[in-house]
Amino acid sequence: MRGTDYVLKRIAFAIVTVFVAVSINFVLFRLAPGTAVSNLSRVPHATQQLRHALEKQFGLDKSKGEQYVIFLKQLVHGNLGISYENEQPVATNLRIELINTLPMVTLGTVFSILIGTLTGVIAAWRRGTPTEAVTVSSALGFYSMPTHWLGLMLIIIFAGTLPTGGMTNEFLLNPGFWQHLKDLGSHVLLPSLTLGLVLYGEYTLIVRSAMLETLGEDYILTARAKGLKPWTIIRKHALRNAMLPITTLVALSLGYVVAGAILIETVFSWPGIGRAVYEAVLQRDYPMLQGAFLLLTISVVVCNLIADLLYFKLDPRITT
Amino acid sequence: MSVPLLEVEGLHVWFDLEGGGELHAVQGVDLSLDPGERLGLVGESGCGKTTTALAILGLLPPNASVSGRVLIDGEDILAGGEAAMRPHRWVDVAIVFQGAMNALNPVRTIGQQIVESLELHGRAKGAVARTRTAELLESVGIPAGRAGRYPHELSGGMRQRAAIAMALSCNPRVLIADEPTTALDVMVQAQILELLDALCRDFGLALVLVTHDLPVVAQLCDRCAVMYAGEIVERGPLDVLYHTPGHPYTRMLFAASPDLGMGDAPVLSIPGAPPRLDRPIDGCPFRPRCDSAFAACVERPSLLEVGDGHAAACHLNTRVPA
Repeated sequence: MRGTDYVLKRIAFAIVTVFVAVSINFVLFRLAPGTAVSNLSRVPHATQQLRHALEKQFGLDKSKGEQYVIFLKQLVHGNLGISYENEQPVATNLRIELINTLPMVTLGTVFSILIGTLTGVIAAWRRGTPTEAVTVSSALGFYSMPTHWLGLMLIIIFAGTLPTGGMTNEFLLNPGFWQHLKDLGSHVLLPSLTLGLVLYGEYTLIVRSAMLETLGEDYILTARAKGLKPWTIIRKHALRNAMLPITTLVALSLGYVVAGAILIETVFSWPGIGRAVYEAVLQRDYPMLQGAFLLLTISVVVCNLIADLLYFKLDPRITT
Repeated sequence: MSVPLLEVEGLHVWFDLEGGGELHAVQGVDLSLDPGERLGLVGESGCGKTTTALAILGLLPPNASVSGRVLIDGEDILAGGEAAMRPHRWVDVAIVFQGAMNALNPVRTIGQQIVESLELHGRAKGAVARTRTAELLESVGIPAGRAGRYPHELSGGMRQRAAIAMALSCNPRVLIADEPTTALDVMVQAQILELLDALCRDFGLALVLVTHDLPVVAQLCDRCAVMYAGEIVERGPLDVLYHTPGHPYTRMLFAASPDLGMGDAPVLSIPGAPPRLDRPIDGCPFRPRCDSAFAACVERPSLLEVGDGHAAACHLNTRVPA
């Protein structure tokens, strides 16, 4: 049957990719200058004994090879280790941060995809008109703005109207469900808007060029000759074909949703994964970094897999 | 005299060129077509045949400007702009494009694409439309079971048949076939031509066949219009054009066609190339390549009746014998 082979091949490939990425992550952080212990024992007059005790506690006295084998074994059992920093299980830390990050980044990404697709289609359909010039140049403008700068500008503009930092209002004690939701919603607006504005330009450009390519095809002329209305032609014929390159981009960027947005989370003090990774790098918190990167790897690989499978669904010409 | 089914009057098309200037691609074309009639529109590449065909349905790209009238049953369909044109497309005039390769949407099945036009013009819906699609496919020689196939799963000939089935879906009265056999091999070409011939007969279709291939015209058409440099230089019944061409270009075109060449005479080629259309043409556009040019040819000739339903744009026809 068409497809089974393709799907199996893709899945096997995805699993291998995750394994390779996990191994590279393990090596990478240990290659970086400085060690976890030198960081943890940075108290004045740390004795050699303290260092040894710390090394023993976290298993850093074993050889790199042994550490790697233990790491893989534990990984198979779903154990990501204990954070050096707060001595909590990494999985627990990551779960909390992931739950914080996902709504904010998802909202921003969805916003950018919608605006990007819409402006891209408009720019392609109105090619050579001032409408195209305006949509493309504003998309490029936002695309090239430094993320943190745009975040700061939005804070300047909206300070006083919308909350500019954190996830919730800490002075709101025992809020009801709806009150809490409303509070979260108002906090998520600015970071999501920043992310959406910075990202949508890329979609505009990709959608525009994919649309221009398909709009020049003969079957678009056929569709016009049949008497279809412009919007139907765009939806049923042009966009459907232009979806192929767009899907890849969307799936790829959805993979990074999990990684959070380090700059945005920093500017808006959003307690998500991006900020956690940044702090873990500073602390040489190997288990935390390995856990976060594993999460990132899996989400990117899974999203790529989804893109491949969607591609397969969207393009009947792919058979192997 | 009755009103012709399709009439094109004084059609001009200009394309704006990038970097300024414009190209006068069609320079005053008049055509008329009666119900069931088959007209061949022939000429070299770049002479404006396809542009004329696209202009009839208002399908030219945005950088084209058009003047002139296209009348269907005496009603000007160009006058109302794109929105007014739309209901006429596929219903009055349908078109089959060259290279069935790309004329069908690669990500939708041929069945879906035929159903789409049926539903669009309110001919049928849902299950009825699918049944009708199956009938249409059968009528062009595609087994009905292939409706679920994608274009890339069909051969070139099959794709062209599917495109023809799609063009017939709304029972148009005029079918424009733009180089329908160009990308196909000879055997398949012959099959497609036979199919078009049979369909025109069975459905009473009027046909405008756009091609550079005279033998193809000879096989299908009653009348022929020869285009050169954006204008019609001769038109008339095919056998009249063949035996007594009124324009040297027509004569040379026939001589350049192997199947129709005069007996065992060697196939001739016409030296030179058509004039550029992005600048005004002085005198007869064919003059530089013509073997019979004379003094009067510095004036541009106009298309004049030279016989019954036969017109040509050449000063030779009005030359006063010395």
